[in-house]
Amino acid sequence: MNLLPTPEQIEITDSSAAFVADKVSIERTRELFEQGVLPAIADAAWAAAAELGWFALGLPEECNGVGCGLADEALLFRQIGRGLVPGPFLSTVLGARTAAFGGEQDLADEIVSGRRVGLVIPDSLDAIGADGSIVGAVQLVDADLDGMVLTVTADVAALVEVASLVDVNEVPCLDHTARLYRATGTGAAPVASVAASEDPIELRGHVLVAAMLTGITEWARDTGAEHAANRIQFDKPIGVNQAIKHPCADMAVQAQLSYSQMLFGALAVDEGRPDVVFQALTAHVTAVAAADFATATTLQIMGGMGFTHEHDVHLYVKRMELLSHTFGAPGLWLARLLELPEPS
Amino acid sequence: MDLRFSPEDNAFREEVRTWLAANVPTDRRPKRGPEMREYDLAWQRKLYDAGWGNVAWPIEYGGRDLPLIQQLVWFEEYARTGMRPIDTRFVGLAHAGPTLMARATDEQKSFHLPKILKGEVVWCQGFSEPEAGSDLASLRTKAVVDGDQLVVTGQKIWTSFADNADYQELLVRTNPDVPKHKGITWVICDMALPGIEIRPIRTIEGGADFSEVFYDEVRIPIENVVGGIDNGWSVAMSTLAFERGTAFTISQVQLAASVEELIELARSRRSLNGRPVIEDDSLAQRLARARADCAALRALTYLGISKNVDSDQPGPEGSMMKLHYADLAKRVYKLGIEILGSRSLAIPHVEDDTEWIDKHLIAYSTSIGGGTSEIQRNIIGERVLGLPR
Repeated sequence: MNLLPTPEQIEITDSSAAFVADKVSIERTRELFEQGVLPAIADAAWAAAAELGWFALGLPEECNGVGCGLADEALLFRQIGRGLVPGPFLSTVLGARTAAFGGEQDLADEIVSGRRVGLVIPDSLDAIGADGSIVGAVQLVDADLDGMVLTVTADVAALVEVASLVDVNEVPCLDHTARLYRATGTGAAPVASVAASEDPIELRGHVLVAAMLTGITEWARDTGAEHAANRIQFDKPIGVNQAIKHPCADMAVQAQLSYSQMLFGALAVDEGRPDVVFQALTAHVTAVAAADFATATTLQIMGGMGFTHEHDVHLYVKRMELLSHTFGAPGLWLARLLELPEPS
Repeated sequence: MDLRFSPEDNAFREEVRTWLAANVPTDRRPKRGPEMREYDLAWQRKLYDAGWGNVAWPIEYGGRDLPLIQQLVWFEEYARTGMRPIDTRFVGLAHAGPTLMARATDEQKSFHLPKILKGEVVWCQGFSEPEAGSDLASLRTKAVVDGDQLVVTGQKIWTSFADNADYQELLVRTNPDVPKHKGITWVICDMALPGIEIRPIRTIEGGADFSEVFYDEVRIPIENVVGGIDNGWSVAMSTLAFERGTAFTISQVQLAASVEELIELARSRRSLNGRPVIEDDSLAQRLARARADCAALRALTYLGISKNVDSDQPGPEGSMMKLHYADLAKRVYKLGIEILGSRSLAIPHVEDDTEWIDKHLIAYSTSIGGGTSEIQRNIIGERVLGLPR
């Protein structure tokens, strides 16, 4: 038992953080979405991420992937969350896996080399069929109209052609960095699908979302604490006051809980633990609660600035909301958690 | 990174589980008095005889000095037996003993440490005072050097098991004229000395584990001082480096086990409307949250232990674990009372019900004892986040 990162994992963290700061800084993201470029990531940056192998990291070598574990992928996604990186990284990584495990290796190769896959967020659970097809009203996040989107349920993950959908209309997204469509499915057969029993793509998704939320919580913790230490009122830093200091401490605890459980969930998937469903769902539940608390806390600590468009905190609040509604909702996950056997 | 334990550690777990299953006391622990003391010490003697006297103590003091991961395994298995995390053996094994190892003379160590390990004595702690709680260094109990004796006068409070203790780790003010941290002395006090009066404090759940201890010119041999006169603050702090997060596992595992029992209880009991309690959506969600929070607490504990494997200085996870545990324990045991509903009003109704009521009431202490949650937040804010004092 050891939850410390290996030198290779530290390298993943450091190099991805450096890439984010260099190629997809929040300043750049803001320029792009102000210009109406959505998702707000430059094609060159997306291509560079593909070039670095980000979409192949967790794919097995026999599927032309790098063959790293979910824990490694999660450390990468933590930096994506922390840096508020826009773009469909989650659905593209899971989409490549769905293609590869669904017998469409050529498609997997295309996705890994940079073809984007959007994410489906259904209006209701029954909008996704048993085979992963779209049969009702859904929202598409960062989809390309000539491309594919990913559906994920507890039973199946599937890739569906956007061209097979009807009533596709773009609407503004709460997350300014994302492109959102509303659409209706026609039940068209998926291009590829993978049953949960073959590969737990849903659980990988919960862990990767938890990783991004962990990055958000860590950003909020550091931003709030820095402001508390430096903002002077009544001739002293506001952080000397326990009404400020103690919520900062609570953010530190929440961030560490979120990080620890995210790792536990990732390793549970990698090692095929019997309680893997419980651990992965718990990672998502824990990370949502932590990020919700931390973003709200830092917004409050920032005072009036936290309420502005100019400060970045609202972008993190909105991303957190998007990730809280990815692959279900907290109430549904909690209901499932209670039904599962006692964790081992 | 790896969640799995090595084959050696798994074999060790099997050994521990087998031994505990065959040896854990099966009779109920008496709640107070000499019977409780004898129960705890008999258990310690049994542990010692089998080589389990203390898994963390160095071998030179008779301990097992297990690698940290095997300590974790030991405490996880120990927790599953349902034995209490803290009993009359606690101060000797986890606080006074390690302090003596770090700072006492060879004579003091060779006299006291074997007695603690062999289950011959009970130690208690004399730190807190009515006017010195979170601000421990402001303590006032006075000690005057008179020849080869310290003459102690004053009062301590929140001393667990004082009425069953043989010795006390006692902090006294030997110099009132220097900054408060500098005039304190750590001394071994024989609880049988004349001039000591013990008054039990009745607590919220009806127990009396705590006492006030009064000292009226109690004469303690000066050779009982550990670490030198006026050096007591650093002596008291030296124990902290000993705790590397494994013993906490008992509380974490037992809290998770309580959540599982509460889920079962909620399935078997009915609400006022006649439906199983588990069908109350708000309660079900909170039970599920508690289950998730216990899992995350385990993950946090594992991360802290992983960090401490290669480090002599424990990280801030200790304060984080304690803070989160306190919040969670209070939420969990409140759920117990809610599941019982109005039946929780009739205290002696059923043995199991009584236990949930006790646990709920005792849980209020988790955010007070051993450093309040507010103090933990100060520590995290200042030492982890670097916020100004």
